[in-house]
Amino acid sequence: MMEFSWIIPLFPLLSFVLILFFGKKLKHFSAYLGIGFVGISFVLSIFTLIERFSNPTYKKEFIWIKIGESHLSAGYEVNQLNALMLFIVSLVSFLVHIYSNGYMKGDKRFPIFYGYLGLFTAAMLALVISPNLLQMYVFWELVGLGSFLLIGFYNTKESAKEAAKKAFIMTRIGDTGFLVGILLLYSKVGTFNFNEIFYAVQAGVLSPRALTVVGLLIFIGAMGKSGQFPLHTWLPDAMEGPTPVSALIHAATMVAAGVYLVATMFPLFVASKTILLIVSIIGGLTAIFAASIGLVQKDLKKILAYSTISQLGYMMLALGSAGYVAGVFHLTTHAFFKALLFLAAGSVIHAVHTQNIDEMGGLWRKMKFTAPLFLIGTLALTGIPLLSGFFSKDEILISVWNHGNPFLFIIAIVTAFMTSFYMFRVFFIVFFGDTSENSKRAHESSLWMIIPMFILGILAVVSGYINTSWFGTYLGNWILDGNEYIKGTHESASTWIMSLGVIVSGLGIYLAWEIYVRKNQKLLRFVNPEGTTYRILSNRYYMDEIYGVTVVPMTRFFSIFLSFIEIVFVKGIMKLVVYIFSLFSTIFIKIQNGQAQTYGAIAFLGLAIVIFLLVLTGGYFKWIL
Amino acid sequence: MENVPLQAYLLLALALFCIGMYGALTKKNSVIVLISIELMLNAANINLVAFSKYGVLPSINGQIFALFSIVIAAAQSAVGIAILIAAYRNKNTVNMNLFNKLKN
Amino acid sequence: MSGEYIVFLFLSLVAVSSGTLMLISKKVMHMMVALIFTFISISGIYILLSAEFIAAVQVMVYSGAVAIIMIFGIMLTNHHDSSRNKAPLIRRLLVGISIILFSISMYVGISHLKISLAEVALHENNTEKIGIALFSDYVIPFEIASLVLLVALVGAIVIAKNDNVEGGNQ
Repeated sequence: MMEFSWIIPLFPLLSFVLILFFGKKLKHFSAYLGIGFVGISFVLSIFTLIERFSNPTYKKEFIWIKIGESHLSAGYEVNQLNALMLFIVSLVSFLVHIYSNGYMKGDKRFPIFYGYLGLFTAAMLALVISPNLLQMYVFWELVGLGSFLLIGFYNTKESAKEAAKKAFIMTRIGDTGFLVGILLLYSKVGTFNFNEIFYAVQAGVLSPRALTVVGLLIFIGAMGKSGQFPLHTWLPDAMEGPTPVSALIHAATMVAAGVYLVATMFPLFVASKTILLIVSIIGGLTAIFAASIGLVQKDLKKILAYSTISQLGYMMLALGSAGYVAGVFHLTTHAFFKALLFLAAGSVIHAVHTQNIDEMGGLWRKMKFTAPLFLIGTLALTGIPLLSGFFSKDEILISVWNHGNPFLFIIAIVTAFMTSFYMFRVFFIVFFGDTSENSKRAHESSLWMIIPMFILGILAVVSGYINTSWFGTYLGNWILDGNEYIKGTHESASTWIMSLGVIVSGLGIYLAWEIYVRKNQKLLRFVNPEGTTYRILSNRYYMDEIYGVTVVPMTRFFSIFLSFIEIVFVKGIMKLVVYIFSLFSTIFIKIQNGQAQTYGAIAFLGLAIVIFLLVLTGGYFKWIL
Repeated sequence: MENVPLQAYLLLALALFCIGMYGALTKKNSVIVLISIELMLNAANINLVAFSKYGVLPSINGQIFALFSIVIAAAQSAVGIAILIAAYRNKNTVNMNLFNKLKN
Repeated sequence: MSGEYIVFLFLSLVAVSSGTLMLISKKVMHMMVALIFTFISISGIYILLSAEFIAAVQVMVYSGAVAIIMIFGIMLTNHHDSSRNKAPLIRRLLVGISIILFSISMYVGISHLKISLAEVALHENNTEKIGIALFSDYVIPFEIASLVLLVALVGAIVIAKNDNVEGGNQ
């Protein structure tokens, strides 16, 4: 199967093309078409994954472009990480496809939604099997395009359009860094191929400084896509898209692409201590920063968005702390439980027609399936023992501790505490709070939406067991097997860290319980909306405003300068050219008066001039030769 | 006894050709334009016949060509006049200025 | 100065001056007369060039047929405004410049022309020679020429035929 893994991205692409051309005719059937094609991809991905367990990495490349001595290759590769990503992406995409059939029902642009989903999925699947940076970059941009289309899907809504633009531009900033990094790397190493790059890095082709610069640039790309501070502002706004899109883009695929990039380029990052430190600091900063904002948000999806940013920061922190396995492991489990949370949130929003958690409440009885599934997702995210998030979070904490940066470890612990607090805040308010007007009319969602959530719920519980310190680290062993560049990044367990993680999570839950269910007056003071801290947090540290007064005016000034150049030089030259041509044309219009005699006169004049010139210069084209 | 040089004939032909060209390109009356074209053809015929006598390889062939040229010129003038009459019937004029359909 | 020179100068003078007359005369009929003079003097030139047959054809075809056709053309079309309005000055100027340039170039070419004269007796049995050449070497062009004449004849009739009147009558 691995030989044919190139076919996996083709199916969603096919569904995109088909829907693009026949969407108007297919109408609702396009949903089944999309589900079917992605289903095929999913099944093939499973086969690929299973085959990869027992077989070595499969890689196929052919020469794409030849430029002089150097040549660019294209192809596909199935190593452990790729196979795992194929599985995750196609699974989540498949479930989101199914879920959308219920969630998007009745939308005017229903078929094209499935088309966009197909395009996005195809790009993402192709991204994860790319064997070289250039090919990856191509699909990286395609993913960006897909996300742009999906986030701005409600194209009649001004805010959705703005959000789509913002997402596109913010990630572009990162992409530019990524591109520069790729090119710089190419100029130093002379190849885009991952393995050759790693070999060159090991052989010490790159100077430490070059290594740091390249790593930093590539990491900027990952920051843009994965919503790391300070390029994170697009991610919460991207919640303007339909909820299934949020689940797809912001749980398993696009934002994971940044983490995937760092994981794929891990040998390069490991080679430089500086860059690893930067990655872990950015990751830690993002984790605590986003978590603290998440504490006070009122929009259900935005809370999940900040949670996603925070968790992505966690993954970066893990990778920066040389915890390759921890990062990938958390990427896997997070994909499942965050997708579950988003889908469940979508189900809630679908039922109550609002995203404001203050307008929800008392849904525990109304939504018999959604509520427990949301709880499972929440528990998994907060790292309650026996659920998937517990194991992966534990792995990260161990990595951070062993890497020996106590400050980052404290950040990770505090973030874990905040995470459990804000998640249970949401959970208690939405499902146990006072029943509001909106939630009275709430009803359980259709089966199309329940089943994917159910599957994800199971995975959110069990997916942790693929890599535990109790039952065996299958994932870690497998993923490090035969990977000579990243040996020894697997950490041994430590019981007290595990316990600490559980304790802080429990503390968070308890606090949330006290404040939002018991309404403890003493503690309620801390969440006073009038407080300075609260205001700062609910305004997201005024990040957008800071950008508004710093980056935006600078850019504006620069663009005014550029437009000045354009007006004076570019347009001036253009006007001059136009003027010259219109001058000529006014002459030629007079000649083109439709009279054969005038034409003849001009033709004869030309002939006479040519002959005369020939005579003057000696004739017989001597002057040309 | 000395012959008239070839150059003299060629210059005569050149003069006639230039007169014909000027008439063809500047005259308003389309009949005159046709006549001028005939004049130009005649100038060419003079060249042909002159070369047939004083050329590099003098032979009868030049005269034959002149003959064919006359034939074609006659046919051309007949068709030309026919077109002119048809155009006149449509426009009720033979003024070249008004034959400007080429513009559109 | 031989007689040939005198005759040539006379004929060429008549040809060029009547050509010029054709250009500057006001009335169309005067132009036609000038044209016939030109044609006839050109036929004289042909005789000087030992081409009696061509000269005869010239007189018959041009001075006869073509001139008559042209006169018919003039008669059939209305010519009260014949050559009153001239072409725009700019075009006349342009054409004049072109012609001067052209003449200069051609004159340079002609004056540089050096062909050794190797006279052949074309004037002896000229018509017979032409006939032999036409029906031996040039028989196919000759036949094609007859075809062209036929096509021109039919074409001229078809073009000049008044469709509207015929359609109206029948």
